[in-house]
Amino acid sequence: MSDLEPVIGIDLGTTNSVVATVRDGVPRVIPNRSGQLLTPSIVAVAKNGKKLVGTLAKRQAITNAENTVFAAKRLIGRRWGSKEVEDARRVLPYTLVAGPEGHDVRVALAGRTLSVSELSATVLAELKADAEAWFGRPVRKAVVTVPAYFNDGQRQATKDAGKIAGLEVLRIINEPTSAALAYGFGKQIEKKVVVFDLGGGTFDVSILDIGKSVYDVVAVGGDTYLGGEDFDRRVMDWLTFAFAKENGGVDLRQDKMALQRLKDAAEKAKCELSNGGATSIHLPFLVSGGEGKGALHLDKQLTREKLEELTKDLVDRCIAVAEKTLKDAGVRPAQVGEVILVGGMTRMPRVQKAVKDFFGKEPHRGVHPEEVVALGAAIQAQALTAPAPKGEEVLLLDVTPQNLGIMVVGGYFQTVIPKSTTVPTSQTHLFTTVQESQTSVRIAVLQGESERAVENELLGEFILDGIRPARRGEVSIEVTFEISADGIVGVSARDVDTGQQQSITVTATSGLTEDELKRILDEQLDDLLEKKASAGEWEERRDRVLAIVAEIEALVPAVHAALERTKFGKDAVQKAEGVLARVQAAIDARDAAALAREEEQLDRTLQLFKGLAAQTRQPAGK
Amino acid sequence: MAAVAELIDRGIKLYMAGRIREARETFQRAVDADPSNAKARSYLLHIREAMPALTPFPGLPAVQPAAMQPPASPAPAGAPGSVAALAAAAEAAGPADGPGDDFAPSPWDDGPASPATSTIELEPSGGLDLEAVADKSDLRSLVPEGAPPPVPAPKSDVDVWLAAAKELFALGDFTGSLELIEKILQLDPDHGEARDYLRQNEATLVSMYESKLAPLTRIPRLAIKPEEVMWLNLDHRAGFLLAQIDGTVDYESLFALSGLPRLDTARILANLIADGVIRS
Repeated sequence: MSDLEPVIGIDLGTTNSVVATVRDGVPRVIPNRSGQLLTPSIVAVAKNGKKLVGTLAKRQAITNAENTVFAAKRLIGRRWGSKEVEDARRVLPYTLVAGPEGHDVRVALAGRTLSVSELSATVLAELKADAEAWFGRPVRKAVVTVPAYFNDGQRQATKDAGKIAGLEVLRIINEPTSAALAYGFGKQIEKKVVVFDLGGGTFDVSILDIGKSVYDVVAVGGDTYLGGEDFDRRVMDWLTFAFAKENGGVDLRQDKMALQRLKDAAEKAKCELSNGGATSIHLPFLVSGGEGKGALHLDKQLTREKLEELTKDLVDRCIAVAEKTLKDAGVRPAQVGEVILVGGMTRMPRVQKAVKDFFGKEPHRGVHPEEVVALGAAIQAQALTAPAPKGEEVLLLDVTPQNLGIMVVGGYFQTVIPKSTTVPTSQTHLFTTVQESQTSVRIAVLQGESERAVENELLGEFILDGIRPARRGEVSIEVTFEISADGIVGVSARDVDTGQQQSITVTATSGLTEDELKRILDEQLDDLLEKKASAGEWEERRDRVLAIVAEIEALVPAVHAALERTKFGKDAVQKAEGVLARVQAAIDARDAAALAREEEQLDRTLQLFKGLAAQTRQPAGK
Repeated sequence: MAAVAELIDRGIKLYMAGRIREARETFQRAVDADPSNAKARSYLLHIREAMPALTPFPGLPAVQPAAMQPPASPAPAGAPGSVAALAAAAEAAGPADGPGDDFAPSPWDDGPASPATSTIELEPSGGLDLEAVADKSDLRSLVPEGAPPPVPAPKSDVDVWLAAAKELFALGDFTGSLELIEKILQLDPDHGEARDYLRQNEATLVSMYESKLAPLTRIPRLAIKPEEVMWLNLDHRAGFLLAQIDGTVDYESLFALSGLPRLDTARILANLIADGVIRS
């Protein structure tokens, strides 16, 4: 087994991501290079210009909010101007801009504009590197999970992210399917399963029919703005209020450093209370006490009871969403065979109790809730690359994630293929004209959940002309939707009387054009941000660096004289030699990223040399 | 403490105005008010070094008058003028790190980097600069009766501070110099010369502090028990940085995490090491 090329499963989450594999028949999570099983899905450019991914990026997310990108998953494959993007713009501290065509979303980060796929690719590349460090060899193939409600554009954007990260995405699978796969691994079960996924930033409820190793998502629901971070915020607010009360109104929210520590501490306390009854939150020297006074400390005891009181309405919201999802799907809680808990927040005892009370049965907690989605993806990756023994094959049916249909009179959306239809599939509906003697009709192909066409994704449109002139309502137009096994949607419209026909083929797009994707792929993923420098930028940077080198060289005699007088500086001169050698190597290799890394060091060397030289020019004392 | 700071400020202005004796008295008052104030003591020492005739002062150890600097040695043969040659010369002078010592030497290890000197400059055309003699010795030559003493044009605060900053820089007191430069920039943010000195001071200080941190790829750890942190005397920024030191983050990453200017981060970390709070 270990001689085979390693394959991985990736849970690319809104808040955290996890990578897993199957080794010796056992699915297991791969720890990142810091030893943690979860990697925050966060990318940042620190104030000193360093690119940060994962835990380090998270630890400065508040102090450097404008250059820290989190929850990119909310934006991936979304259209500029859509409700989801507008909602995100209201709450995200970083800047979003429209893509070059004005359709997709881009993120402004440290003076550059990046596609959301590129940012997700940075997280995927980090996970890939962690897996490679763990395996000790390159990893190229992966299965990546997405929410069941992701449309084709979002799925394609996720695939593009994988491609940019240097991964061949074997398959995109739904998160609840993946969780159920991990749950049903090696078992023969046949029942209705609810996946209750309360993650860091989103809450998803999915109803699956599992039978003879076939996993079918029959309904999804949720709240895309409800998750563990809301629970953290309640603890933070409670601490902030208590602190202000005890310290004469000092507002911790005004101090980013204090807020960052408060957020970390709130999350830690919340996690600790899943296992204990009380925890201490101790933050020494948290905030300035004012002019001439020492820094203030925060010292507070939080009990599980208090946490439950603070977050009761959030738990109630989860249950209300679950109830609505079941009701919409026509499923009674008693019909549910199993409830699978997914996401770190489901470790909270109060959440588990609420789920148990609602479904009337103990939820399944046999696997770690944060890891289960990645484990399922790893199992699927393994199944796709190494054939399973007879009778143990796992069949995943691809289903349409959302309703597919066309726009009809009044701006309404008429579904032709409902969501969760197993592909490949084909459906035909009959439509008619709305005007007298109408000879052409516009067919707008849409995907989404809304009754109003404008609120759904426009996949494409075409005109069917040459229609027989007749009274309105007398002409029959047959519209057929076909979805191939590869997810390619073909739509055709035919005048039943004349046989006149027009068709369109729709392939999902991520928002990135082919040229853009090619350009991104041409660049090495490492130093993604720095390497985007154009030829002009390169020459500008090189000339700037060479000018600094010339200044340094000119100062050498004066520095030498200064070194006769002081011990300090010898160390710096030795370092300077190394910096100059690296600069030369970067120029020779035309490596913009390496040159960018050395520029700051070079400038500091220049300043240091100027300082040393100034000491020789200016005798002390006058 | 504010009064001491004012006294120091006044002392600098007096000194730069050539009123050495009054400056000395002002610095002496600052030392009397706060004997532990290193800055006041260093200025007093500086006046004393510059004006040995005024010594001794109470409360300060006697020091030898500063010696004249020997002329600079010529650059080593081989590749004169190159950084590599400099590095070689530095190497020949002995390793920056002593045996068993992880830290590079810094000016704090042996006092000001460049001892102060009193020089009396000759006029370009030859002869003694009598004004310099008068300035240095406080001995004034006789002037014809009735002739008004020359009145120097009043200097602005910025000019006084800049001159003092330059002098402190030359003496190796980069922190003191930086403080004065920052005062100038508060009044005149576009002051070109002050900006130059700001960058030079910062670069020098960053190098000095970083030399205390050893390789920046090292991961610092808490050297005291977590419950003892409470008893330290830190500000909230040091508290933030200390909270990030959890045995997983190296120095270079701390610079990225802190969100503070590199100088402030380096200074805080160097102080935490010096105080035995963290270790590499």
